[in-house]
Amino acid sequence: MDKKLTNVALTLAAVLAILLLLVYGLGSVNERFQTGENAVMRFVFVGVGLLIAFVIYYMTRDNAAWEVGTRQVVWMAIGAALYAVFSFLFNGTVFVVPSLSQVALRPAIAIPMFFGYAFGPVVGLFTGAIGNTFGDALTGFGLFPQWSMGNGLVGFVAGLPMLFGDKKKSLDTVLWTGGILALLGAVLYFLNPSQPNAVFFDPANNVFGDAQITLFAGISLLIGFALVAIVRFVFGQNLDIAAAVTWGMLGNIIGIGFAAISDIWINGYSPVAAIVGEFLPAAGPNLIFAAILVPLLVVAYASVRRQSGR
Amino acid sequence: MLVAWRYRKREKSFIQWFDPRAWLIFYACFLVGIVTFWDVRYLLPFFIFTLFVLFTSGVQWHEIRKAFLFILGFVFFFAILTFLTGRGGSEELYRQEHLIRQFQAPFSILGWTPSLDITVERIFYALSQFVKVSSLAMMTILIPYSLDPRLYGVTFKGLGMPDKFAYAMDLTMRFIPTFARDFQLTVDAQRARGYELEKLSGGLIEQVRKMGPIFVPVTIHAIIGSEDIIDAMDLRAFGVGPRTWIDVLVRENKDRILIGFGVAILFVSLVLGFMGYGNFWVPDFLLRLAGP
Repeated sequence: MDKKLTNVALTLAAVLAILLLLVYGLGSVNERFQTGENAVMRFVFVGVGLLIAFVIYYMTRDNAAWEVGTRQVVWMAIGAALYAVFSFLFNGTVFVVPSLSQVALRPAIAIPMFFGYAFGPVVGLFTGAIGNTFGDALTGFGLFPQWSMGNGLVGFVAGLPMLFGDKKKSLDTVLWTGGILALLGAVLYFLNPSQPNAVFFDPANNVFGDAQITLFAGISLLIGFALVAIVRFVFGQNLDIAAAVTWGMLGNIIGIGFAAISDIWINGYSPVAAIVGEFLPAAGPNLIFAAILVPLLVVAYASVRRQSGR
Repeated sequence: MLVAWRYRKREKSFIQWFDPRAWLIFYACFLVGIVTFWDVRYLLPFFIFTLFVLFTSGVQWHEIRKAFLFILGFVFFFAILTFLTGRGGSEELYRQEHLIRQFQAPFSILGWTPSLDITVERIFYALSQFVKVSSLAMMTILIPYSLDPRLYGVTFKGLGMPDKFAYAMDLTMRFIPTFARDFQLTVDAQRARGYELEKLSGGLIEQVRKMGPIFVPVTIHAIIGSEDIIDAMDLRAFGVGPRTWIDVLVRENKDRILIGFGVAILFVSLVLGFMGYGNFWVPDFLLRLAGP
């Protein structure tokens, strides 16, 4: 292992060690380290997210997917800027996006999924993490680093098929892994149907993340998975569409799941509140965009590549 | 064509007096420091400092008016709403409310009489929320107006980022206003064809599909446009060796002082926070006034 790699690995390992120390060591002495709004923990989870990405990189470091050249630098910037602009415009204050039964939609999530898939995991990670940070900054309502990291992981995982020579390989494994996770989420919802939907805000009707989660929001991940599965099999002949939606789905589940679960330590949520009240209503609707907007972008980009020859 | 943020060099601007790296480090410390507190007494120094920065930034009202009114209006709206409904704070920050006065409507709707409870906790939660979020928003909004676009890259490089990621950050900040303009142009062009983003009809899936005419052109246009930038960078041998920057940033004593001040704010905030200070607070005399 070269010196630079050793330093990076040691730094990330130190971040993880600090996290464990804060939660399990100092947590027993001072409850501020266990629950409640904790600024330090937000950044610790950024470190954990980077550690996850680093471990995957390290295990496959010889793969060309990790190359960062001029093209990747520009695509990173374009992806992050587009994600920031779309996030800001569609956060409900500028344009009102369609919504149904407590499900607030974020069409911008299609951007890190598409950029990750089309241009690789590094571009996806940068697009999601930096784009979300700038999007939050533009809105002016504060920064949430662990959610930015979660969005980065969405793009990162969406870009992982680039590590495989044959994209068809592992596609069904990824699909069914997502299916099992969606099913587990739905089971958890049916066991806890009275959980408040923490991501649903409707000030006009006096709802501030405290309304009981609806059936539609509770099973939205399952509905989203069904849509993704339909796209995967209906467009099975077009490997790019099938792989983009399938890996985008897994990225969404892992990335949003990471951010929601981090709130167990950051905001003091119970595991059920984090998964049923936060993860399901946030991740489920995103899959609708994975299934509809991502294929549109994949087809349009393929057409551009054919015309330009690049 | 790239569209730029409304930056210009301003005379006697407090922000621009410092090295941008020092300012960004200070901003990050300020950000983490302020989110540690809910006590309005602890938040007020942050707010006062924010106002000082705003009024000494040299940014003119007519430049910032639109963005400023939008964000502050948004923050104010939410603060008022939480005051009227009492939601938000009662779940996390306080368990008991002390009533100062209750207003009841002189009419009933289906047996329900609308009422407004003014409690000490609601007033201070709304006040704390407004002070905290508006401080964050004002500090953030000033950055693009005060940071020279030519210095984005060298600033991030100076903050320790590798060349490629520093340049990616540089381009990201430059592209945001450009893509916002492209988005508006695309919306206008589609509107001329009878497409109304605000009036999407059909079921949920159909409405999502109908967003395609906005998302796809803006995204694909950006990717096509990137080829020119990639070519230009390749022609200048970007990434072949260590990069040099046209502008050189020099850290002076005043920058070191600012960084030290920022780190001190961060350190003190975190220590106070971990010691249990700075949690939600209401004055005792108001509690006594309100009674049990």
